Amino acid sequence: MKVFAFHLMPYAHLDMGYAEKYRAAWVVLPNTYFDPKKGHELYNRYLDELELVAELGYDGVSVNEHHQNAYGLMPSPVVMAAALARRTRNVKIAILGSAFCLREHPLTLAEEHAMIDCITGGRLISGMVRGIGAEYYSMGVNPTVSHARFQEAHDLVVQAWTRPGPFAFEGKFYHFEYVNVWPRPYQQPHPPIWAPSTGSTETIEWAAHPSRKYVYLQAYSPIQSVARYLNYYRECAQTMYGYTASSDQIGWSTPVYVSDSDQKARDEAKPHIEVLFNRLLRLPFEMLFPPGYLSAKSLKNMRSHKRSVSGQEHTVDSLIEQGIILCGSPDTVRKQLMDTHRLLGFQNLLCLLQFGTLPRDLTERNIRLFAREVLPAVQTLTDKEYGGMEVRAAE
Amino acid sequence: MEATEIDVRGCRLHLRRAGRGEPLLFLHGAQGLNGSEPGLDALARHFDVIAPDHPGFGRSGDSDLIDDASDLAYFYLDVLEVLDLDGVHLVGHCIGGWVALEMAIRSTARLGSLVLIGSAGIRVKGVPRADMFVCAEDDLLKMLFAGDGGAAWIRSWRATPELEDIYDRNRAAAARYSWSPRLFSPKLDRWLHRVDVPTHIVWGREDRVIPPAYAEALQSRIGGATMAVLPDCAHLPHIEQPEAFANEVTQFIQSRSAAR
Repeated sequence: MKVFAFHLMPYAHLDMGYAEKYRAAWVVLPNTYFDPKKGHELYNRYLDELELVAELGYDGVSVNEHHQNAYGLMPSPVVMAAALARRTRNVKIAILGSAFCLREHPLTLAEEHAMIDCITGGRLISGMVRGIGAEYYSMGVNPTVSHARFQEAHDLVVQAWTRPGPFAFEGKFYHFEYVNVWPRPYQQPHPPIWAPSTGSTETIEWAAHPSRKYVYLQAYSPIQSVARYLNYYRECAQTMYGYTASSDQIGWSTPVYVSDSDQKARDEAKPHIEVLFNRLLRLPFEMLFPPGYLSAKSLKNMRSHKRSVSGQEHTVDSLIEQGIILCGSPDTVRKQLMDTHRLLGFQNLLCLLQFGTLPRDLTERNIRLFAREVLPAVQTLTDKEYGGMEVRAAE
Repeated sequence: MEATEIDVRGCRLHLRRAGRGEPLLFLHGAQGLNGSEPGLDALARHFDVIAPDHPGFGRSGDSDLIDDASDLAYFYLDVLEVLDLDGVHLVGHCIGGWVALEMAIRSTARLGSLVLIGSAGIRVKGVPRADMFVCAEDDLLKMLFAGDGGAAWIRSWRATPELEDIYDRNRAAAARYSWSPRLFSPKLDRWLHRVDVPTHIVWGREDRVIPPAYAEALQSRIGGATMAVLPDCAHLPHIEQPEAFANEVTQFIQSRSAAR
C-alpha cells in the first residue's frame, strides 16, 4: 500500500466564536478573521510538517484546493506543491486535487502541473476535482453544469498534456484556438490522475471508465459510506464496464491520530478534531450543495449521508464510533487499518495527520509515531490481504 | 386553470390556461409555479391567462437549446408563433421579467404591452441584493415575503411528493439560468430603448431579492414606462398581494386599451 500524508492547512487561529455571528467558515466568513502574520507562521509550520513526512518513509505528501474559507488555506495547491518540489527528493507530491473546472482557463493549471512534474522528475500526482459546492458560490461558476464542465476541463487538460500542439479545442465551455502547452509533463503520457470525491455516483462511474481507470479517492466519511462508495467503484468496473478493478485504483482518505494509549489519543485529539468537524467544516446544506450541484437522485442520497458528516455536532467518540477518523494507540490504529484493508482492499491511503487546531508538537509526534509504529506494517499490505468482494458479501 | 402540454422546438412545454379575453402570457420567476397563485386566478377574470413552466422548471421538459435568459427569450418568441398569439400582454416576474425584456428588445411584433414584476435582468451597481440561493429556508421565506405568508407558501410546495421534487427542480433550473452573472445580463441594459410597447413596472416595496431601486432604474431606461410600488409586499406580489397585483396589471392594460 502507498501511504500519503495529507494536509489541509487549516486556519488554526480562527476565533471560534465566529460561529455565533456567521453560518459557516466558508463563503460568508469575513477574511478579516485571517491575520496575515499568523498565516505566515502557519504556512511555514505546515510546510515543515510535510517536509518532515518526506524524510520518514511515507510514499508521498498531499495538498488540496479550497477557496475563500478557514478550513483549508490552499486556494492554489500548486503553490504548496512548488514549495515542496525542491525541498523533497523521493516522495510523490499529490495534488488531491485541483479544481480545473473552477477556472476560466484550465490551461494555466495544466501548465503549472506540467512544470511541477518536470521540476520533480515525475513525482506529481494530479487530482482532478469539481470543487465543493461552496466554491461555486465563491468562484461564481454555475453549479448546475459542474459535472459537464469538470469532464470537459479534464478532456482539455489531458489533450493539452498528450496531443502534439498546437491544436484547437472546441468544447461547450472552453474554446481555444491554440492549445500548445509548454512544458509537456515529465511523466508520459501524463501524470497519474486521481479522482477525489465525497461519493458522487457520477464521479465514481466516470473515474472507473476503462478509458480512464483513475484512482478513486474517498474523502473522509462514515466507514459504512466509505465501504459503499469504494465497493461501488469495483462493482461499476465489473458490471458497467466488464473489467475487474485493480486495488491500485482504490484510495481512502481519513484523519489519523496515534498516541501512547487509546485514551491518551482520544484526550489529545479531542479538542482539535472537534474543531475540524464542528467549526471549520461548518457548512449549511444550501452552501454545501448549491442548486443543481447534485443530480436529483444524488441530492436525495446525499441528504441522508452528508447530514451525518456536517449537519450535527460531533465528538471525538462519535467520530471514532462512526469510523470517520482513526484514533488510538499505534496497535489499535494498525489493526483497524489492516482490518479495513481486508474488507475494502484500498492500495492508497491518505492520512490527515494534522487537523483543526492540532498544534505543532502533537502533529510532529503523530507524524513520527505513525511512521515508526504503523507505516511499515500497512505499506507491506498487498492485494493478497484483501478479502475480496465475496468476503464482504459473506459478512 | 386547465393544464395542457405543447411541443416547441423539441421541448415539452407544460402550461396552464384560464379565462377569456386578450391573451396574457405570464412568465414566472425563480420559484416557479405550483398552482397556488391567487394573483393569476384574479387575472383570469379579465384575460386569457397562459402560464407556462419554463423549460427545466415544473412539469416542462428540459432543452439542450436553452442555457440562459437570452435562449429563453427566443424560445418564448417561438411559443408565441406556435400558439399564434398577437397583441399579447406579457407579464414577467423575476427571471420571467428578465426573459420578457430579452424578448421585447428582440421583437415586440406580437406584443401588446409589457408588465414587469420584481424583474431581474439588469444590474444596478451599488445596490445590494439578497442571495436567494445561499440562504437557509427560513431566511429565504423572510426575504420573499414582507408579512408572514412564507409559511403557507412553503406548505403549498410540501403538499405532495411531486411538488417537493418540483421545488428542488425549480431551484436548480433558476440557478442554471441566473447563477452568473447573478440574475442579469450585462448586455441587456444597452438595448432597453428597443422596448417600444407600453410598459408598467410593479414592485413590492420590501423586495430584497431585487430591491425597488431596480424598478426606478428600469423606468428611467424604458420610454414612457409607469411604475407602482406595493406596500406590505416583497418579492412575490402575485402571491402576497394578489388583488393589488391583479388590479395594477388589469388597470394598466385597460387604460392603454381605452387610450388606443
